[in-house]
Formats: sequence, structure tokens, C-alpha cells
Amino acid sequence: MKFGNLVLAGLVTGSIYAVFAVCVAVWYRVCNILNLAVGDFAMVGALGVDNLYRVKGLPLPVAIATTLIVVGAFAYAYDQVVLRIAQDGPRRSEGIVVTFFFTFALSFFIDGVAKMLFGTDVHAAPALWNGQSLTFASLHLERAGLLVLLCAIVIGGAFWVYIRYTLGGKALEASGENSIGARIVGIDTRRYRRLIFVATALIAAVFGIVESPITGYTYLSGATISLTGFLAAAYGGFRKPGRALLAGLFIGVLEALLGGYVSAEYGDTVLYAILAAMVLAWPRGLGFESAVSG
Amino acid sequence: MSGVALKVSNLSVAYGNVVAVHDATFTVAEGDACAITGPNGNGKSSILMGVTGMVRRHGRVEIFGAPAKNGDVRWAARHGLTLVPERRQLYPDLSAADNIILGCYAWTRSMGKARKSASFGKAIDLFPELKPHLKQAAGTLSGGQQQMVAIARGLASDPKILAVDEPCLGLAEALAKRVYDVLASIHEQGTTLIVVEEAPKRALTLCNRRVEVRNGVAGAA
Repeated sequence: MKFGNLVLAGLVTGSIYAVFAVCVAVWYRVCNILNLAVGDFAMVGALGVDNLYRVKGLPLPVAIATTLIVVGAFAYAYDQVVLRIAQDGPRRSEGIVVTFFFTFALSFFIDGVAKMLFGTDVHAAPALWNGQSLTFASLHLERAGLLVLLCAIVIGGAFWVYIRYTLGGKALEASGENSIGARIVGIDTRRYRRLIFVATALIAAVFGIVESPITGYTYLSGATISLTGFLAAAYGGFRKPGRALLAGLFIGVLEALLGGYVSAEYGDTVLYAILAAMVLAWPRGLGFESAVSG
Repeated sequence: MSGVALKVSNLSVAYGNVVAVHDATFTVAEGDACAITGPNGNGKSSILMGVTGMVRRHGRVEIFGAPAKNGDVRWAARHGLTLVPERRQLYPDLSAADNIILGCYAWTRSMGKARKSASFGKAIDLFPELKPHLKQAAGTLSGGQQQMVAIARGLASDPKILAVDEPCLGLAEALAKRVYDVLASIHEQGTTLIVVEEAPKRALTLCNRRVEVRNGVAGAA
């Protein structure tokens, strides 16, 4: 049952990649910009709840609610002040490149503030579902891992339903496809950019709270999370959240199997070699060409 | 049908220091089919862009008597003025059906209401040749089919005034005739039409009046 347990562990890790890939891909779908700060909101979620609960002594629900309100308000303010100037100002044609660097700068800014507020040690939000690991036949799964999987399914499913079956979801896609065409039918493209930026920040924060008991976070964890999300989103061609989700799960399972069967030490090296080979062999199928050409 | 659908007074549109339209004044009566004609680069499209709010303007625009908000396309669409733009401005990766139903966004946020609406049904029925291609990505359709999708999207917004910019640009003569037949049918059903055309001869087969634009200055012809 080693194989089954590795696949289960890979699905848990993969669902982390998958959710952040979806967050990256959906915002890219709206405004054609990569958000390199999305992982930092996860770090703020995890360390913020830990700080308010463990250090400040607030009840857990209050600590979670306060952290989410702060993350949501900060994301909203960042859109209103910085992204609005970068994207909606008089030099909008340069806005996409500029905004990409603004999200990069935002990542550094959040990391710096987190270092001052939370220190440099590894911390985690308290586990939301305590108890022994769950066992089915000879398969074992941590409760926090199951929670992560369930969160990924709910978040992925919600985005899928929203984009596929609602007019708002179609408007979101139209905003990224052709902003002039979107304005013609009365779509407020700025509203969708803001909505998804705030929503993905909140989703990242929730995921950080749920997932941090498994891995533990430092103030630098956000950049790593963003990178894995970025990588999985790239394999989904950036513009396709559904494919980004599957790519995240695939990478997680492949990583776990390579670690279990090939080498725990060199598993990641082999993994990235396989991923690079896939890009070289099948760029069009993986959506890399369309991502680059727009 | 004698009310004024659109009243444009002293409209000017500029892109930076370049003035594209200078002091244009004209009215379009309800039920009219009005052609805006003139050579390329003389400001015809800019008039539509300014009137619909796609670009900021100086001057006054009234849609059925209500003063239009400057730069607010949504306001214009909700008050009955819809633009079918030059070069169509479709969403290439979305299906033709999704492109058309997004026209309904001007008046609803509900996919259910949009699908069941008379305006969406009418937009689909007007182009039977599109039916086999409704699930196809709009970017993979032919130029003529894309123009039909753009007009259908405009109709789905349930317009009282449909402003169509260069509807036959880049189309073969047979397709151009089909597009004009459809526009004539839309006009016969009571929609006020504004058609921007370089060639007055073609426009006047459909339109009962004309505004001529020369060097950014508009006048009745």
C-alpha cells in the first residue's frame, strides 16, 4: 500500500499547488497579469492567526475572522491605490508590465512586514481538526491533509461553476480576453479585477490557515507557495484554471511518487527534469505557446 | 415614431492633442436609419465612440431625452444605445454562444434570465447560419461569421438604438449584402439604426438620412 499512501500524500501536496495555481490563473484570466504575491497572503493567514491566537490570546474564531478582515481590507486598498494607478492611469498600455512588478514588490513588502510582526521562526495556525490520522484499509491520511483536500475541491469546484455557468463568470473571462469588447457590453473590468484580487487573497489566507499545521510557515514561505502556484498555472497555460488545478495535482502526485520510489534526496531534481522535458516535447499541448503569445 | 432617439450637441473628441471630432451636432429620430459617412480617418468612428461613452468627450449627448453620462458605456447600454464596434471586438477564446449571451450583461447578471430572454432568442434566430457554430470559439470563425456574432451580441443587449461601425469591413460582397439584409430586418422591427460607412452608396441602400463627416466636422448631407 506504499503506492496508495504516496498518491494520497501527493494529492494533499498537489491540492496546495492546485489551489494557488487556480488563484494565479483566474486573476491572469481577468487582467493578463501574474500575481506573485498570492502566496504571501497564505503566509499572512497562517502567521496572523497563530499570532492573534497563541501570542495575543484571542479566541480562535475571532483570530481567524480578524486575520481575514485585515487581508481582505489590505487587498482591497492595494487594488484601489496601487493597481488602479498602474492599470487605469493615463499610461495604461504600460500597465501590465508595471503591475507585474507591483505584485512582485507587494510580495517583498508583505514579507518584510511579516518579519517585523511575526519574527523568523517557523509557526503555524492551530489545527482546525484535531485527532489521530484517519485510516481506510491500509491508507493513512492526516486530518489536516483531508481538510486541505476538501478545501481544494470546494475552491476549485466553486471557481469552475462560477466561470462555466454564470454570466458573471463569463464577464470575468471576457474582461481578460478583450477589455474593449467587455466595456462595450457594460462590463466593469476594474470591478472584476478587484473582485478576483480580493477573493484570491482571502482564499490564499484561508488555505494558509488550513494547511500550515502540516508544513509550518515562516515569513518567507509565501514566495515558495507563489512559485509552486505559478509553476502549476504555467502547465495550465496560465489562462485555464481547470487545467492549472489538474496540473497542480499531477505535480504533487509525481513529486510524492518520485520521492518514494526514486530518491527522497533527488526527487525534486528528477521532477523538474521531467517537467522541463514535457515543456520541450509538448509546448503547444501544455498551453505554453498561447501563454507566451497571448 | 417621431420622438428624438439621439441628440448630439457640440460633440468633440480628442486623443491627446489630436482632435478627431470637432463640434458635431445632429439628431437621430426614433425609427430612423442614419448613415454617418466620410473618408477614412475623418472621425466617423470617433463620433460613435464619443456618443456611446467609449472615449471621453466634450459636448452634450441625450439618449431618448436623458443626458448621457460622459465615458459611461454601461449607462448608454442600459438606456438603449448599443455599439457594434469596428473590428468586432469579440472574445476569441469564448464560444460564439457565450459571446452573444454576454450582450445580455447590459441588463441582467442572471444566466437563466439571459438564456430565456426574448432578446437573446431573437439574436440567435436572426442568424440561422450561426447555429452549427455556436459552440465554436469565436476566434476560429470566418470574418463574416464573426461580424454576425458581433451584431447578435449587440441585439442581445435589447437595444433601442443600434450603432454599427463599418459592418462590412473586410467582407466579401455576398456576405456584405447578407449583413445589410440583417440590418434592414432589424430596422424594420423598430430598432433605430446608426451605420458608419465609408461608402455612402452602400449606406443609402439602407438609411433614410445621412451625416457627412469631413476632417472631424459633421454636417447633414
